[in-house]
Amino acid sequence: MTQDIFSEIPLRTWRWLGVNEALLPEELQQVPNDLSNKNTQSFPEKLPWEMPEQISVPAGETVEKIFVFRSEQVTNIRAEVARGGTLNLICIQLLPTDKAYAGKVLVTAGEKAKINYTAVEVGAVHTLTNLQIELDGNGSAADVAAVYFGDADRRLDLNYVITHKGTDTDADMQVRGVLQDASDKIFRGTLDFRQGSRGSVGREKEEVILLNEGIRNRSVPLMLAQEDAVNGQHAVSAGHMDRDKLFYLMSRGLDEKEARKLAVGALFATVLERVPDADLREEISREVEERIEHGQR
Amino acid sequence: MEQKKTFVEDIERTLYDIRNEDRSVYKTERGLTEEIIRDISRQKKDPEWMLDFRLKSLEKYYQIPLPDWGPDISGLNMDDIVTYVRPGGKMAGNWQEVPEEIKATFDRLGIPEAERTSLSGVGAQYDSEVVYHRVQKELSDQGVIYTDFETAVHEYEDIVKEYFMKLVPPKDHKFAALHGAVWSGGSFVYVPEGVHVDIPLQSYFRLNAAGAGQFEHTLIICEKNSSLHFIEGCSAPRYNVTNLHAGCVELYVKEGARLRYSTIENWSRNMMNLNTKRALVEKDGLIEWVSGSFGSRVSCLYPSSILHGENARCEFTGVTFASRGQDLDTGATVVMLAPGTSANINTRTISKSGGAATYRSAVKVAPGARGAKCLVNCESLLLDEKSRSDTLPVMDIETDEVEIGHEAKIGRISDEAIFYLTSRGIGEEEAQAMIVRGFVEPVAKALPLEYAVEMNNLINMELVGGMG
Amino acid sequence: MTAKLLEIENLHAGAAGKEIIKGISLSVNTGEVHVILGPNGSGKSTLMNVIMGHPGYMVTEGKICFEGEDISGLRSFERARKGLFLSFQTPEEIPGITVENLLRTAKQAVTGKFQRIYAFRKELKAMMEELQMDPAYAERDVNVGFSGGEKKRNEILQMLMLDPKLALLDETDSGLDVDAVQIVSRGVSKFHNENNACLIITHNTRILEKLEVDRVHVLIDGKIVEEGGPELIEKINRSGFGKIRER
Repeated sequence: MTQDIFSEIPLRTWRWLGVNEALLPEELQQVPNDLSNKNTQSFPEKLPWEMPEQISVPAGETVEKIFVFRSEQVTNIRAEVARGGTLNLICIQLLPTDKAYAGKVLVTAGEKAKINYTAVEVGAVHTLTNLQIELDGNGSAADVAAVYFGDADRRLDLNYVITHKGTDTDADMQVRGVLQDASDKIFRGTLDFRQGSRGSVGREKEEVILLNEGIRNRSVPLMLAQEDAVNGQHAVSAGHMDRDKLFYLMSRGLDEKEARKLAVGALFATVLERVPDADLREEISREVEERIEHGQR
Repeated sequence: MEQKKTFVEDIERTLYDIRNEDRSVYKTERGLTEEIIRDISRQKKDPEWMLDFRLKSLEKYYQIPLPDWGPDISGLNMDDIVTYVRPGGKMAGNWQEVPEEIKATFDRLGIPEAERTSLSGVGAQYDSEVVYHRVQKELSDQGVIYTDFETAVHEYEDIVKEYFMKLVPPKDHKFAALHGAVWSGGSFVYVPEGVHVDIPLQSYFRLNAAGAGQFEHTLIICEKNSSLHFIEGCSAPRYNVTNLHAGCVELYVKEGARLRYSTIENWSRNMMNLNTKRALVEKDGLIEWVSGSFGSRVSCLYPSSILHGENARCEFTGVTFASRGQDLDTGATVVMLAPGTSANINTRTISKSGGAATYRSAVKVAPGARGAKCLVNCESLLLDEKSRSDTLPVMDIETDEVEIGHEAKIGRISDEAIFYLTSRGIGEEEAQAMIVRGFVEPVAKALPLEYAVEMNNLINMELVGGMG
Repeated sequence: MTAKLLEIENLHAGAAGKEIIKGISLSVNTGEVHVILGPNGSGKSTLMNVIMGHPGYMVTEGKICFEGEDISGLRSFERARKGLFLSFQTPEEIPGITVENLLRTAKQAVTGKFQRIYAFRKELKAMMEELQMDPAYAERDVNVGFSGGEKKRNEILQMLMLDPKLALLDETDSGLDVDAVQIVSRGVSKFHNENNACLIITHNTRILEKLEVDRVHVLIDGKIVEEGGPELIEKINRSGFGKIRER
């Protein structure tokens, strides 16, 4: 049986790299299409693709939505932000480590609308996310910040696309992650400047800390431009923990795992600060620290 | 819709049975038959193993589908391949047959009369012939072998047999398979251990003599602690009337050796340039690529470096200039297999007048390549709103002890920079040209002077519409 | 002997539909030094840019005459070739173009004469030494990685090398330490003679010490609200722009 394609790279490249598309894990393909079945709860934790969670931000207003996914295996959020509106969308994925997860988010921003998207991907054995932000309106803006943590044999496939369509749009995509054990991650981040997006600016940065041999990290930053009057930049840095930092911490009496926890905490801090609930922040930090503690190396 | 990408089609491709597509490709290519391959082989007096190799490559060529990514090459009529490879196929016989556009380019570039007339074949090789023989004498005194590929197959059969298409096997992709079947002409260079070749070798001396076509094979072997600078001269006399170039370059850089491979490509605008270049670098070896892509309608060019030995290094410097009607997909791949390997990739792309430029790269760090370092810096300049520029790098890392950094920028020349220069009395076109030349400066610096001058002239021609 | 060099008549100009210069008239003769004072946002830099022909600004009314010719329709390089020079408040960084390359190209464009490379290099080196610039900077990319002071000295270097008839100095002394201001000031006084003129925006009187200021213009909200001799500088320094603004 062929697997459904869940997300795709906007521009294909060499097949041997295995980054052109993400396939939906088999266990998530059994989502019932029959909505009348909904009450029978045959797959209670799954939200059908056909029924996205709708968010609509009226003109000039600010809406904050926090989703914490602990059991939902399939999520789908669709948001529209009207003129001058602001949406603060926070998605925290803390599924148990034996479950797969696939989440879609599609946001369209009107004139001068703003979307602040924060994502924390630390749960599930296999995570797929597909974030699409369409900056349709002139002067609209997206601020995306995400963290991920991969350990054991966890797999992560993150596909983020910000499309600049209006004039003078602004996008910021900051993604930070840590990989340990035999985890395997793909991050595709795309800034797409369409024709007519004059005066638009986009920045993208991914920082990955690799904690041991045996991980696999694939970083795919894309920048597409059909418009000259734009300014785009992206950067990726991947590697081991800063040796000097590690040495400094260890010279203060911390063992290697404790030092790692501190360094990872520092890396994640600016993203986690965007989560308003202190208990939730605490829970995420604790989860990450525990996983570092139980790292195989 | 502003943007029509082909991904819908691509989904189908991945889902459908690939063999279906093969069959359809096969049908359109019936033209290229075993008979033709045998004919080429006979004319070249190939040894038996080479004929065998060609036939096996042909099989692969039939089997492998066209790539499902990259520029649109649907304009390529595969049936015509027969015409290209047929011995004595239509090459420009003399200067009069060269199209006006190309002649004008030569005139404006100031390509010396001697080189220009050498295009017309036998009549006028006097100058380059003299230079060629002098170079030849110096080299053979050092034990360096520098010859055309057909000669190499006969006179250095053992070496060729050991290395030929081992680095780029025909099964690699469709055009590698095609190359394996129909290759013709090219250069063979062997630099013995410890020998440093002081003067850059320029391939066009050789190519003129061999009358090579568009499936030329370049094989360079730099033995331990040797060094060489090889310049592939695609800009000047390598004009041709056909529209597919599927050459293959294989470079072996042994322990402690250094090889610099420079190219400025300025093919005519009807060319599909689907070239494969690969280097295998052993311990402490260094491969330096300097690559300028200016011509052709479509280019797919990603010189790749396999850093096989400890501390092997790669330096890649590239510039691509895509103008009206061009789709230039260029970049590099680096595979880091051993501890301490390092790579620097530095590229500049420019798009203008509706041209499309893509930077595409892959950096792979294998498990165990501890201490690997790779820095990528690519900048793209769009000169007008009609053009496009895409950046598509992939980093695939399988070890933690690495430092991998990638930075890319895309944008246009700032109005403020233009104003600054014009406020100093510099005309607007010249100001723009100066900034573009400044933009490609990192590449120009890496080129031999005459090539740097040529590259600047090409930029001036594109931007100012002429020189002086 | 003095002659009219720059004459601005009822100039209105702005950007993106917003008027910034709201009717300025100003006249500078050869041999003169004029100073423009004004609070931040009063339109001083805009005025300089408009005189130099920045394409981002539109002249909506009035004219700018240079040596009797209306230059308001000319492009910036044409104005430079007529003898105008602007020392930028924030000079652009231009990767890949060396200071020497820029200056030699510009000098050729402005003078219309081929600049022999060795003679030019010699002249450049002498001038750089005079400005206490490391001659190695000639080989560096224009302003890339230069400190604030080095950028400003580079502007003065260009002014001296190109030898314009009218130098517009936009806060060439701002952000510099005492020594650097001295060097810039010496450069300006070396440049100035009876055949050329300077129009200077400054917040700092030190740059003017070696110069004889002929006329001072106070610019507020796009208009010249007061004019006078050098004594006006003192007055402003003492009591600020508040008094003038009230009128």
